[in-house]
Amino acid sequence: MAEGLTLRAVTFRRGHVTVLLRQSLTVPRGGTLLVTGANGVGKSSLMQLAAGLVRPDEGEVHINGISADSAHPDELVGAGVRRAFVFQQGGLVANLSALNNVALPLRYHADTLGLTDAVIEDRARFCLGAVGIEGPPIHALPGRLSFGIAKRVAFARAMAIEPNYAFFDDPDAGLDHENAQVVQDILTSYRDDPGVTLVLASNHRALIERLGVPVHELVDGRLVRIDMATMAPSSLV
Amino acid sequence: MGPSIHNASPEERPPARGWLASLGHEGIETWHVWASAIGLMAFALTSAFSPGRAAARSVRKVTLAQIFFTGAQGLPFVTATALVLGATMMLQMRVAAPGLPGEIVGKFLVTVVLREFAPLATAIIVASRSGTAIATEIGNMQASLEILGLSSMGIDSRRFVVLPRLVAVVTSVVVLMVYFGLLALLGAFALAAVFGSPDLAAIRSGLAETLVMPDLFLFAGKGVGCGALVAVTCCHYGMQVKGSITEVPLMTGKAVIRAVLGCVLFNFAATLLYYSLVGTPAAQM
Repeated sequence: MAEGLTLRAVTFRRGHVTVLLRQSLTVPRGGTLLVTGANGVGKSSLMQLAAGLVRPDEGEVHINGISADSAHPDELVGAGVRRAFVFQQGGLVANLSALNNVALPLRYHADTLGLTDAVIEDRARFCLGAVGIEGPPIHALPGRLSFGIAKRVAFARAMAIEPNYAFFDDPDAGLDHENAQVVQDILTSYRDDPGVTLVLASNHRALIERLGVPVHELVDGRLVRIDMATMAPSSLV
Repeated sequence: MGPSIHNASPEERPPARGWLASLGHEGIETWHVWASAIGLMAFALTSAFSPGRAAARSVRKVTLAQIFFTGAQGLPFVTATALVLGATMMLQMRVAAPGLPGEIVGKFLVTVVLREFAPLATAIIVASRSGTAIATEIGNMQASLEILGLSSMGIDSRRFVVLPRLVAVVTSVVVLMVYFGLLALLGAFALAAVFGSPDLAAIRSGLAETLVMPDLFLFAGKGVGCGALVAVTCCHYGMQVKGSITEVPLMTGKAVIRAVLGCVLFNFAATLLYYSLVGTPAAQM
């Protein structure tokens, strides 16, 4: 089966919101899917669904040809899928320091990824440094970190696994201009990496214009491709 | 314009359930909970055999931390409860039946304190202390997307979160139960020594006469069963938190009540099974 992300006739409802209605799509390996849409339309749910974190009500989600809602998520890693996900908010392990949060997936899959303890520590520190986090905050628990720093720690954790499937939900929201630029640089590098399949949701015009990829709007359970030049959605900020 | 509020008329409201229907509804819900919890336990146990040495090492680390939290940190509370409970039992026996022979007192200590109180009291202590912590922690992890975050990193939460807590609670309940039993006996002996009766040698003789090899299996069975019930019920209810942190206290309360109820019922069933297989103390005499 072809590499990439595939949704086949997926229907997914969360509460009273129909996120997707019999939607099929394919994002080839190295491709980018950028989703926009009004608040509450289900962008975050779509991201979780595409990443295989939640099961669709109907239809199938495949990553690299493997069912993404696999009963055992570690099987995906064993099959060569290195998945990274940055939530809009939260998702860090509350009782681990920023450094240990970043190191956690590396330690857990150390033998599959062929990493030693020294390499794990170095890589975790490097990724935190790449998003501008150094010094005392790397030893702080997520609850002690500001929203912006916690979000960047989540970014560092996503980078640490060297993903071939990267999912970002509103990646630059809540960041100051300088850090938003850092995040946009990282996203741009993923966009240009033929080994990374990138899926992201955002309503930020600056990020969308910077990425310069086709934009899909989520409306009434459907993904509709839009021409930014002529019909940019009103939900953009 | 003001808000439009529509209250259901009496005809639209669902009819109130009778006591029999309520009992049935509760029974069905309880069955669903146990079935789901047993499924969770099965997944967690089978996940122990998933590949990955590094993953196993991470899980072992979490398990040891949980054993420390549940077992070692629970020691002072178990110590105090067991000593006082043992002494209270002896006091009651002295007050209610002052001339009771030491052999009978020893027999009573085995049947009531060792076979019943030790497993049940330990399970209740662990449920109220660690069970609440487990349900709350997992509930918060669900609400703050930590569980989904783990899954996104290819970390199976049943292996990384549920399994360590299951192993830790079962291990802790078994060990603390033995410890509780010994300290409760110590408390009872201490009070008897203070009052000078019943005769300590006679109590020891009654104890030795009543304690039999199958007690080992009863102890192990009750410890493992109650420990598993507490762990899996609290993990299950923690996992039931869907999106809001306000669900956490509600689920924690449900978890502990059902865990304790489950332990009481399991304890009773195990005792019935034990005496049906081994015979009653009167029959053994």
